[in-house]
Amino acid sequence: MNVPFKHALLAVTALSVLTLPALAQDAGGARSYAPVTNDMILNPPAEEWLMWRRTLDNQGFSPLDTINKDNVDQLTLAWAWPMAEVGQQETAPLVHDGIMFLSTNQNIVQALDAKTGDLIWEYRHVLPELPASYGYQLNQARRQKNSIALYDDKVILATVDAKLVSLDAATGQVVWETQVYDSSLGYSYTVGPIVVNDKIISAISGCSIAQTAGGCYIAAHDVNTGEEIWRFNTLDDPNNPEQQASWGDVPPENRWGGTPWATGSYDPRTNTTFWGIGMPGPYAELVRGSGDGDVLYTNATLALDADTGERKWHYSHLPRDNWDLDSPFERVLIDEEVDGEMRHLLVTVAGKNGIAFALDRDTGEYLWSKETVYQNVVTSIDADGRVNINEDLIPTAIGEEKYICTSVSGGKLWQAGAYSPQTKAFYVPLTEACNTVSASQSEFTAGNAVGAMRFGPRVLPEGIENAGVIDAFSVIDGEDVWRHEQRTVPTSSLLATAGGLVFGGDAGRFVKAFDDETGEVLWEQRLNAPIGGHPMTYQIDGEQYVVIPAGFSAQAGSSASMYPEVPVPSGSGNSIFVFKLPANSGN
Amino acid sequence: MIFRTLSRSLGALLCAMTLAAPAFAQSVPQELLDNTRRAQIDSLTFCLDPTSVGAPFDRRVAKEIAGALLLNARFADAPSGFALDGAGYMEELQIAMNNRCDVMMGISLQPGSVFPDWLVFTRPYAQVPFVFAVDAASGYQRLGDLPPEATIGTALGSRGEREFIIYNTQQPQSRQWRRLPYADPALMLRRVQDGSLGGMLIWQPALRALGETQSEVAQLRVVPTDPVPVSVVSLGALVSSRDAFLRTQIDEAIGALVNDGTIARLLEELGYEGRPG
Repeated sequence: MNVPFKHALLAVTALSVLTLPALAQDAGGARSYAPVTNDMILNPPAEEWLMWRRTLDNQGFSPLDTINKDNVDQLTLAWAWPMAEVGQQETAPLVHDGIMFLSTNQNIVQALDAKTGDLIWEYRHVLPELPASYGYQLNQARRQKNSIALYDDKVILATVDAKLVSLDAATGQVVWETQVYDSSLGYSYTVGPIVVNDKIISAISGCSIAQTAGGCYIAAHDVNTGEEIWRFNTLDDPNNPEQQASWGDVPPENRWGGTPWATGSYDPRTNTTFWGIGMPGPYAELVRGSGDGDVLYTNATLALDADTGERKWHYSHLPRDNWDLDSPFERVLIDEEVDGEMRHLLVTVAGKNGIAFALDRDTGEYLWSKETVYQNVVTSIDADGRVNINEDLIPTAIGEEKYICTSVSGGKLWQAGAYSPQTKAFYVPLTEACNTVSASQSEFTAGNAVGAMRFGPRVLPEGIENAGVIDAFSVIDGEDVWRHEQRTVPTSSLLATAGGLVFGGDAGRFVKAFDDETGEVLWEQRLNAPIGGHPMTYQIDGEQYVVIPAGFSAQAGSSASMYPEVPVPSGSGNSIFVFKLPANSGN
Repeated sequence: MIFRTLSRSLGALLCAMTLAAPAFAQSVPQELLDNTRRAQIDSLTFCLDPTSVGAPFDRRVAKEIAGALLLNARFADAPSGFALDGAGYMEELQIAMNNRCDVMMGISLQPGSVFPDWLVFTRPYAQVPFVFAVDAASGYQRLGDLPPEATIGTALGSRGEREFIIYNTQQPQSRQWRRLPYADPALMLRRVQDGSLGGMLIWQPALRALGETQSEVAQLRVVPTDPVPVSVVSLGALVSSRDAFLRTQIDEAIGALVNDGTIARLLEELGYEGRPG
């Protein structure tokens, strides 16, 4: 009969659609793969780059020094590779056992021979056919930042449809996948996890969408099974009355935001994981109804026990945010001697306002802070670390316009800074910018709970001509080391190396290598598109390689009005460029 | 009829206009913007937010607009489901308006709009109010009867919430109501029923739609918002600002539908309060 045949055909078709794209495209045949052990995660080999910022302390530093101040100007292109999909270039390549793992937009993962650039396998995550009503996920799918991590013989992938997926690192085949959150509500992974001690520690986003009220999470899952171990809600901590009171009369079901937008760090000495948390929603307290409360844990650092998810401490970098100046960016763990005493520091330019903080990461004690770019929101920080805001800038009426520095696009943004233990300096990519902000309640489509704030265009602060800044400062006391200013904004993360170099790139398509002690530009190369993602380095057979992602940059587009003399390409051009020293360089 | 003579030239113009490359700001990769000419022939493509409670009304109006222009109405989904700040919305809207939509229906027209200058509003086709609902068992006869210690629920990010905040913040502190924003009308309904909220300010089509799935709506009573001014959403559409001729034709069509009673009939058929135009 036709009917059963039709049903069977539909079932087979559905199955095919589900499975075919997930099959690895093995272009090079079977290849052995040495597992990434937990010891390697805790102490990565110098020649490899195993996770987002190479080490669990998020330092973004490589001990490799074959490429150094003396020879960096000889760098030559080894190979290049086009990315698989159009979208914002925010990739963070990883390298282990001679294989580069490249995550890109739409949750595509590619394994490449790190020496030759040849494709080994490709995994294309099967997303459900997202209707236009999944606008947030559709948009975020084109801006996956650093969605993978390596552990054992697996690649762990956090997906835009709120799944964790475990891939066989040798073949790209799916080992397991689990639906962690309900993506139909708006939940979506945009950053990757850390994996340590058999736990995947990850954070979800989409917490400012109407349907996700009251729930935004950092969670741990078993790396072998995907089973959840613990979950911490950044918007609702029933164990902390201070957190509840900080939202005033607003119950958890009316809270939004609190998104951990950047991958956390981990301290094995105390078994603590540190995460930065984003802004509250709605942005303006006039709308969200929280009065003058701090709205914890938004814009805070959270220190959580990695085994249980219990909070150890928190520190608020920007209480009572009214301007979407969220503070979720990389938390960097550094051990340095301060005044004769070894201190276990957490250093971060936590938020868009560009203020650098140093905390004692064992206690959350505030140590020092430093302004890096012009901002007018924080007026002072007390000796005990209490951050005081300029209350004159809080909207008191709908439509009232305030001039806010930095802008909603930063200051600081997702582009991560790097720390060099050789100079004891932290290097941070920044932007000088301001914009107007008003609580406008300007819904787009009728009855649609979107659009409660209005932001003006980005403009340079008065008296400042250069939008782009690389700021280097001491982690001991925040003292300036050097400062590089330029017209165009930095659009990539930074990479520091033992070769005395800091690599980074900008909206003007230049990748540059800075002297880590002076800021002098020792090498620059113009590529096809704004520099993006996370530059990294690795070494194979004694040759050091430097990877520079380039491609479409939202920051380049939104800041172009500040320097019209630098045109932005209309196409994506998403690619990675891999540089090394020439064979006859003597290195 | 004016539209009969114009329909052919409108179709030709639509083809010509979709040829012109849009000079959009570089907020999305150019590869995502379709540069081909849509084969519109005798139709207009209307985009609707399928999650909007006003979508059924917008769809009916779109069909009438197309009919008035002697064109067929095609429909496509408009982007929705964004965060409260609308991050990403303009990018998705740009892609939709470039690639598949001639007209974006169901737009809330209001001063201080955040829409960029590459989009232009049509004239409104209806004015639909927010209403204030209280527990029917309460003695409240108007919003102003609620004591200051009462909590009022408002539809998050809405025109009604905006007007309420403006009024409330102009009152002495001791007379200001406590207010909580809600994205989920059903949750707001439950909070009225359990007494957490003294009442809820909600767009009337949303209350009507809620009543189709929640029998408890029958236990609510709509009372005047007095002394808070009635909030009214002006429903209109967006077209590309380069499609000036199309906008003119749609404005004329809306005017005709308002004048001949079509919009009033649709409002009545769908149970919407408000008025045409």
